[in-house]
Amino acid sequence: MLNTILPILIFTALALAVIGALRRIRLWRQGRPAPVNLFKGLAALPRRYLVDLHHVVARDKMISNTHVATAGGFVAAAVLMILVHGLGIASPLLGGLLLLASASMFVGSLFVARRRINPPARLSKGPWMRLPKSLMAFSVSVFLITLPTVGLLPEGLLEGSTSWFLVVVLVGLVAWGLGEMFFGMTWGGPMKHAFAGALHLAFHRRPERFSTKKGGGGRSTGLKALNLEDETAPLGVEKPADFTWNQLLGFDACVQCGRCEAACPALAAGQPLNPKKLIQDMVVGMAGGSDANYAGTPYPGKPVGEHHGTPHGPIVAPAALPEGASLVDAETLWSCTTCRACVEECPMMIEHVDAIVDMRRHLTLERGKTPNKGAEVLDNLIATDNLGGFDPGSRLNWAADLNLPRMADLQQVDVLLWLGDGSFDMRNQRTLRALVKVLRAAEVDFAVLGDEERDSGDVARRLGDEATFQSLAKRNIATLSKYRFQQIVTCDPHSFHVLGNEYGELGGVYEVRHHSTFIAELYDAGRLTFSPWKGGSVTYHDPCYLGRYNGEFEAPRNVLKALGIELKEMERSGSRSRCCGGGGGAPITDIPGKQRIPDMRMNDVKESGAELVAVGCPQCTAMLEGVVDTSAEVRDIAELVADALVERPAGEASGASRQPAATPTAEEVIV
Amino acid sequence: MPHNVNTLNDAELSVAVLVSVGRHPLTGRARRADHDARAVEMALSLGDASVQLMHAGDGGEACGDAMRGYLGMGISRVKRINQDPDADVVPALANILRFAAPQLVLTGTRAETGEGSGLVPYLLAETLGWTVVSGLAEIESIEQGVATVLQALPRGKRRRLKVRLPAIATVDSSAPAARQSAFGPARRGELADCACASVTDELQTQWRVQPARKRPKRLKIVKSASARDRFKAAAAKADSGGGQLLNDVTPEQGAEAIFTLLKEEGVLR
Amino acid sequence: MSETIRRDPRREWIARNRLHPEHASVLLEMGNAALSEWPGPNGVVRKNPRAVGFIGPNGIKRIDRSGLQQGGQAAATTAAPQDSRRTVTIEDPAFLVAVVPDMTGGRLSGHDKDLLGLARQMADADGEHPGAVVAIVFGEHKAAALGDAGIDRVVHLDDEVYTGFAPEARLAALSAVEREMAPRFWLVPDSQLGGGEQGRRLAVRLGERPATQVWHVEADEHSATGWRCTARGAAGTSDITRHLPRVVLALAECAEPVSETRHAAQPVELNQPLPDVLGRIEDMGEVPVDPASVSLAEAEFILSAGNGVKDWEGYHHAAQVLGAAKGASRVAVDDGFMARDRQVGASGTWVSARVYVAVGISGAIQHLQGIQTCEKVVAINLDERCDMVKRADLAVIGDAGDILAALVARVERYREQQQENRDAA
Ligand SMILES: Cc1cc2nc3c(=O)[nH]c(=O)nc-3n(C[C@H](O)[C@H](O)[C@H](O)COP(=O)(O)OP(=O)(O)OC[C@H]3O[C@@H](n4cnc5c(N)ncnc54)[C@H](O)[C@@H]3O)c2cc1C
Ligand code: SF4
Ligand code: SF4
Repeated sequence: MLNTILPILIFTALALAVIGALRRIRLWRQGRPAPVNLFKGLAALPRRYLVDLHHVVARDKMISNTHVATAGGFVAAAVLMILVHGLGIASPLLGGLLLLASASMFVGSLFVARRRINPPARLSKGPWMRLPKSLMAFSVSVFLITLPTVGLLPEGLLEGSTSWFLVVVLVGLVAWGLGEMFFGMTWGGPMKHAFAGALHLAFHRRPERFSTKKGGGGRSTGLKALNLEDETAPLGVEKPADFTWNQLLGFDACVQCGRCEAACPALAAGQPLNPKKLIQDMVVGMAGGSDANYAGTPYPGKPVGEHHGTPHGPIVAPAALPEGASLVDAETLWSCTTCRACVEECPMMIEHVDAIVDMRRHLTLERGKTPNKGAEVLDNLIATDNLGGFDPGSRLNWAADLNLPRMADLQQVDVLLWLGDGSFDMRNQRTLRALVKVLRAAEVDFAVLGDEERDSGDVARRLGDEATFQSLAKRNIATLSKYRFQQIVTCDPHSFHVLGNEYGELGGVYEVRHHSTFIAELYDAGRLTFSPWKGGSVTYHDPCYLGRYNGEFEAPRNVLKALGIELKEMERSGSRSRCCGGGGGAPITDIPGKQRIPDMRMNDVKESGAELVAVGCPQCTAMLEGVVDTSAEVRDIAELVADALVERPAGEASGASRQPAATPTAEEVIV
Repeated sequence: MPHNVNTLNDAELSVAVLVSVGRHPLTGRARRADHDARAVEMALSLGDASVQLMHAGDGGEACGDAMRGYLGMGISRVKRINQDPDADVVPALANILRFAAPQLVLTGTRAETGEGSGLVPYLLAETLGWTVVSGLAEIESIEQGVATVLQALPRGKRRRLKVRLPAIATVDSSAPAARQSAFGPARRGELADCACASVTDELQTQWRVQPARKRPKRLKIVKSASARDRFKAAAAKADSGGGQLLNDVTPEQGAEAIFTLLKEEGVLR
Repeated sequence: MSETIRRDPRREWIARNRLHPEHASVLLEMGNAALSEWPGPNGVVRKNPRAVGFIGPNGIKRIDRSGLQQGGQAAATTAAPQDSRRTVTIEDPAFLVAVVPDMTGGRLSGHDKDLLGLARQMADADGEHPGAVVAIVFGEHKAAALGDAGIDRVVHLDDEVYTGFAPEARLAALSAVEREMAPRFWLVPDSQLGGGEQGRRLAVRLGERPATQVWHVEADEHSATGWRCTARGAAGTSDITRHLPRVVLALAECAEPVSETRHAAQPVELNQPLPDVLGRIEDMGEVPVDPASVSLAEAEFILSAGNGVKDWEGYHHAAQVLGAAKGASRVAVDDGFMARDRQVGASGTWVSARVYVAVGISGAIQHLQGIQTCEKVVAINLDERCDMVKRADLAVIGDAGDILAALVARVERYREQQQENRDAA
């Protein structure tokens, strides 16, 4: 009996799954083409899944073990089940393995269930609440129907009239399990994440993010350029179908784990953004429908159920429509600080920031709807090459007494010091002065571009104005190409990121260092000597564009250590550092929330007990200093270093590297 | 005049905006002129009026850049009347306006390049025999050939006027700011060129034009009977150079000092 | 204007007190006698031109300012301040320089006086053959002062049709002046108060190409007019030097106001009656605006509140009494005490007020950016070392609430005094 029903069930479920998969693929294919190497991607899939994805998931050991047991068990059980029960290869060995697999899955599902008893707020509810039960139904039923195969149960038990009831129950359970696991996987149930997730990993739009066997890889954070030459190419994303197909696929991979939402500073500040909901809205848009079924944290202040979209309808309602008539409100998109905390946390390696900037591009380039000060700032950039609309000829006024060497005079130096738009900001000028003092103390051969420098284009790009970004970038690249230098050093992580990671696509390839990295190197090379730290306790705030964007967590800490400072780390630091609120043009678009992001960050500082917070970014300095009623002082690392400088003792004049005394490098050990 | 004001109501309101090449005050880069862009904004905010943009100029690169600035506001075309660089644009504009016969012409208060005298709207009005009003902050309504408008006065005050159409109205910085100019529409928009004979502005060729010099700050001349008073006044001026700090004063004394300043500056009304 | 008759105890008392210096005028007014001059409701002297003056020897109406005509009122009501000015009368001018002052509120503005200073220079350039400055004054105006500002002749036009915003009627009148007097120059203030507009209309009507935005005039023998001028062009970014044309629209501070001499300010009348003009612009009057809600970018006087303000009612009251527009720091906005559109600073509005009073605002860089172009900054703050105090032209250290309260009291006292003076006048 069971022997006839099971194959039918299994193959029906499989057939339905295939149909579902085709339908799903059709949904993704609505997107625009993207250059993806399909075979290479599929070949890399196992490694991407087992190594890279697991690397992220393993930040939470419990979940990672649960997932290994459940997913591993399921994959094995599914394959074996097809063999054993579908094709009827009733070998005891296979049967035994199947028992093991389903048992493992069952154990896993127990943990999944436990997690669902009192789920943290970031987890979505709805269909996700039934998932542990479905997992159990599947694993238990498979376990039970396999028992006879290995002879642990008399074959006859399920035969005969008495067992009718049992059979019906079992078949019911199997059907439930198969329904969720096979059918649901491609028809939009919670298990969709396995199907879409696997393909998403294979066809990811940033394959550079994944490690290779040879090592390397890992970070790919630069935004991708729009083709402005082609007048028919859409400027950004207006409707879901304007995303590339693999972006749509990526949205479908979301497991609604809410790790992104837990990390998002905008959500925490009560601004109308939740990265998880945003991704889910994109899924709603690609399939068409309303967000009424969303069962997670909404955008603060925006009830669920009022928004809806279609693959070819606008994501953000054009001004003419009443609010809420579309998929997402503009202010949701403008709340993002592009801090990448969500991307960093996402186990499915979904690219929220790319999607947000894509949609902003449409709003800015096509609709001219950059909110608040956005339009003014962009006009300034266009007319004066700086954010504040200052006279570009006054870029170096602050340094009139410093006699800074100019590239135009020297033509060739070791270090090109990129000053950034902080040149116009009185507060940042103090940092720049400190940095110049440090460079001079270390006798670095450096020069500045002076009035030839322009804004790097970071803000323009993140406000969606790709045209202004590219115009600035191209002119900066032309200027830089006139001179010869080994590396660019800057105290602005935003310029650092853009020059280092985003100019390359436009033809400007440079070696760029953040000043903390460079100072650390100078110190290691014995070119700087510090007096011991006498101040109070210090904590360090990782700038997003230095840390998460560029992986530089160590150098600033090393510099502080060299100063004799023992850091009191904040709870959220390093790759999980909380944004200051200053990135992505967020202070310019200034979407109101319940509180301000920098206020929360200064609260983190307060909780660490530190009296001073060291930063390495002009934007962070401005944001954190703008917080009122705080006790902690905000200083840039360059300032701390400049204050601690002492004349080098004569004997130790040059080149006495500190490196060997500290940790010996690999080569040194080998040699 | 081809106008019949009584039938204006039935026909669609047609508005022409005269736009010029703006110039950024610090960098001199060509851009849409601020006042003109506000005029365009005002025209666009008139609901279902048909809006035409017109420009008379030399059609150079700066001109192209500036016109793209207006197109980026969501305008599909700018009618560009090509003129020699030293031409007087009034005859050409008068010609085209007479032909296009809009009911309302909006312009900026004065241009950001050239003489910038702000005379063009007056000259056009005199030539065409139309009404001219200046300094519009808002158009409240247009009915039966009469526009009800708010004219901006200093200090944020407003005066309501009823103006018989056809009229030319100037817009200055008290009008709502222009919407953002977006790249996409700017790139797509059309510059419709047409030719018109140029009339050279002879007078202007005799002028000497330099970058603006800083105007000397007027010294406060103290006219006082006694030399002693004059001396005292001069001395007092000198030491208050860096700003006055009143510490350890009673609130009344502090208030008195503020009051004196407010009165001196003439802001107490 | 209200028609209600209000009892004024003070006036009644003056009417009773025969020794009071204003006795005569008050009595006259209360008795509704035919007066040639009386104070209008807002302190502006209203005149009945038909009741004043006599016809002079050459047919021009003359007004005797000795006061003898004024219903027998005493010559001088207030002791004139001791006067060192030279009185100048130009009997037979070689030419005329016409000036059309703005006369806002019936008074010569600073701008008007500068322009009259310029007119004087041009009239007096040739000591042998001096010209006369003739001012065309529309509407009611405060007496006196005209002569002090350098005016030799006054064409006073105060018919109904010129009141309010009446550029068309005024233009017709100015054209009539042109026809009858043919002044050598026309000087008009290039102001937003009407002069800029009137001057352009006039120039276009006369078919003259004016110089606008003129800020400097000097003699030039090569020029047909004997003068050359420097004018701002290209929205204030260039200077155009050119021969001075007949019609000149000049900026404030184009010349020093007259201070050494006093002039006759002799009334003259136009011979021809003025034609009726069919106006196509109808003035519906000023729209009442609450000074507190004037858009920040346009406000000339801002009282701005920050985190240091504790007594919000007191602050709002102060803004109302002072007639100031309200501004705020971001903290005051974030904390919900002020509306978002009131925020001053980098992420709010950039203001360019003549006076900016910062109450309990520390002066963060983002805030200071927004007030860069303010002329005078006043700080009220507890902390004398904060950046706002450093930026301020006047800083008063103390509690904001107390100081605002004292300021309100002081201003209220001033307002009362003003009222009394007005009543007394
Ligand atoms: C990107 C960014 C943009 C910003 N944009 C703006 C902006 O546009 N506008 C803006 O204002 N801010 C802006 N800020 C915030 C700015 O940095 C400051 O936080 C803010 O201006 C401080 O406001 P405050 O002076 O009212 O408050 P505080 O700094 O707290 O100052 C309060 C002041 O009141 C004084 N005080 C306290 N009690 C009394 C009393 N009883 N009597 C008198 N004085 C008293 C104190 O001495 C102190 O000087 C921005 C910040 C950032 C990071
Ligand atoms: S980038 Fe930062 S602010 Fe933007 S959605 Fe992600 S976590 Fe939130
Ligand atoms: S986007 Fe990523 S982190 Fe956010 S809920 Fe989905 S899977 Fe989790």
